[in-house]
Amino acid sequence: MYVTVHDQNIFVSTGGRAFNPDAPVLLLIHGSGQSHLTWLLQARFFANRGWSVVAPDFPAHGLSEGKPINSIPEMADWCHDLLETLKVDQVTAVGHSQGGLVTLELASRYPKKVSSVGLIALGLTIGVNPALIDMADNNEMSAFDAMLSWGHGRDGKFHDHPMPGNSHVNLGKRIMADNPAGTLSADLRACAAYQDGAEAASKITQPAMIILAKDDQMTPWKQGKAMADAIPHARTITIADAGHMLPIERGDEVNQALRELLEEQKAK
Amino acid sequence: MSKSFRFDTLGLHAGFTPDERHGSRAVPIHQTTSYMFENTEHAAALYNLEVGGHLYTRISNPTIAVLENRLAAMEGGVSAVAVATGMSAVFLAVTAIASQGDHIVASSQMYGGNINLFEHTLSRFGITTSFVNPTDHTAIANAIQPNTKMVFGEVIGNPGLEVMDVAAVAEIAHAAGVPLMIDATLNTPYLMQPIHHGANVVIHSLTKWIGGHGIAMGGIIIDGGNFNWGQNDRFPTLTQPHFAFQGVNLWEEFGPSAFAMRVRSEGMYNIGPTLSPTNAFHILQGIETLGMRMDRHLSNTAELIAFLTAHEDVAWVNHPSLPNHPCHDVAMRQMPKGAGSIVTMGVKGGREASQVFIENVQLASHLANVGDARTLVIHPGSTTHSHISATAMKAAGLTDDLIRISVGLEDIKDIKEDFDRALKMARKSIMSKGA
Repeated sequence: MYVTVHDQNIFVSTGGRAFNPDAPVLLLIHGSGQSHLTWLLQARFFANRGWSVVAPDFPAHGLSEGKPINSIPEMADWCHDLLETLKVDQVTAVGHSQGGLVTLELASRYPKKVSSVGLIALGLTIGVNPALIDMADNNEMSAFDAMLSWGHGRDGKFHDHPMPGNSHVNLGKRIMADNPAGTLSADLRACAAYQDGAEAASKITQPAMIILAKDDQMTPWKQGKAMADAIPHARTITIADAGHMLPIERGDEVNQALRELLEEQKAK
Repeated sequence: MSKSFRFDTLGLHAGFTPDERHGSRAVPIHQTTSYMFENTEHAAALYNLEVGGHLYTRISNPTIAVLENRLAAMEGGVSAVAVATGMSAVFLAVTAIASQGDHIVASSQMYGGNINLFEHTLSRFGITTSFVNPTDHTAIANAIQPNTKMVFGEVIGNPGLEVMDVAAVAEIAHAAGVPLMIDATLNTPYLMQPIHHGANVVIHSLTKWIGGHGIAMGGIIIDGGNFNWGQNDRFPTLTQPHFAFQGVNLWEEFGPSAFAMRVRSEGMYNIGPTLSPTNAFHILQGIETLGMRMDRHLSNTAELIAFLTAHEDVAWVNHPSLPNHPCHDVAMRQMPKGAGSIVTMGVKGGREASQVFIENVQLASHLANVGDARTLVIHPGSTTHSHISATAMKAAGLTDDLIRISVGLEDIKDIKEDFDRALKMARKSIMSKGA
């Protein structure tokens, strides 16, 4: 569905089901240079199991118009405003990578809006090599290639994909290339500038599910574990033989972990 | 360390994760029709496109999926659907977006089967086609109508060997808001990857060079993922609710792989030209050596062209590598490694001499195929293209004396000796009748 946020036409995937604000809402927040398609294996899955899925494309990503948002706190504010637009009181917020940093900010600054959090493949900060930002500025395709290479485990690097016929690397590259030029660079700068993760994590009192990849080259497992240790009510699941793009690379295991969290919230 | 694997490496490894339970290093043949569901929820999830996996081999199969992933990787596509034959691939690709009342702009210089499909079969279902010369860019632009759904052509026409300037035609198609669909069988991804030149969907007959052994039929549709299906209202099969899967909007929910999803979710479900898993395995064996074989095809082709061009009994030789070929420059720019291993020629003495030549080759095989490891010869006018109209035959550049040669991997000296003997027999036959 399309909604207007800050006077911009924004696409929100609802997993193929009509949005129902009265059902428990699952907010899925994508990472740097990505789109709602990060959640290819989550959006339909949870939408068909009773959750009202809200998987937006940030401005200048996927099918949304506008210009990139320049900081993680502003992205969190934007998510809050999206939920206000949709008249949603409370969500389970799940973020991947940069989307995880946004989730930390959203959950810590708007605790009433977020009943539980899922954090996939990130640390308290996401270190971005200046060379990668330079590449994103001057040769975006090379930056996509580098990120997709670092971002996948063995299966993904060799184009294996849970959906028959899909190429992990080429599909990921196309998703990134479909965003307007400069989008990745803006996202990477926002990640690099964000240093408030430790403070945000300490304020998260909601139940948290941390899902980490053992072979993550983008946000190494140790950093993810440090984040988990900084969040008071965190459970951590580590997926072996997988890389950074966990939601697609290991969709079934991610869904199983998130479902555990969501079912608990539903029971409350 | 950033790492993108190269062509020959992808041909050996892409799309396959060695089996954890048994450790099989080669791709196993999953010769099964169906798959055990974990529970009823898992079954429903598979049927509703919520999770990855296989539910019935008509739709997908683990062995076939390796082939699909591998060729998607080698062509630079985002997704692929493998099918029983190249012809069924063309049919499924076209009908994924074209419906009754729609229109196609297609090359007039195509394989006879493609021409017949567009001219006689699709027209019965209300899909009309305007055939234009693929080198006439003005004609292509002028032929596009408000109801046109695609421009369709072959990189190297069969058997005329005209070469489409893919980037230029893609630009024309895109300016009109339609995709460019390419049958790339004669060039294979080794010589050229049309998606990198702007094509949006690539089709192969896998039966030809990609398999290379002449033992297994197959076809594939590769989605470039590089066309914005939501830019206009021409593509409702991708941008409007699907008739199944709870009305999924494929463009919104699957993005760049929407086209491949439509092919699989309608073409394989409702039509079902399924590739045999065993054939998928055979074709995978061919792909493992595609690069090496193509190098040999190309070197043999170059040497045979030089031999035929100098031969006193050969009337003419046609191949895009020849400087006098009208598409020579485009061919060399698009396919710097070489312009394929199909050569056409006429024997002095016309159709009769050409037929005598075909009947007297001993090493080369007279049969209806191309891209085999063995050298093949045929007279298309009386065989592969005999069912198309005289007008279409003329448009396709099919002369009465044309012999199509698919240059194989034999020792080139043996091929030349075989051809020399058959050419002399043709001369002798014509001379004896003349006397």
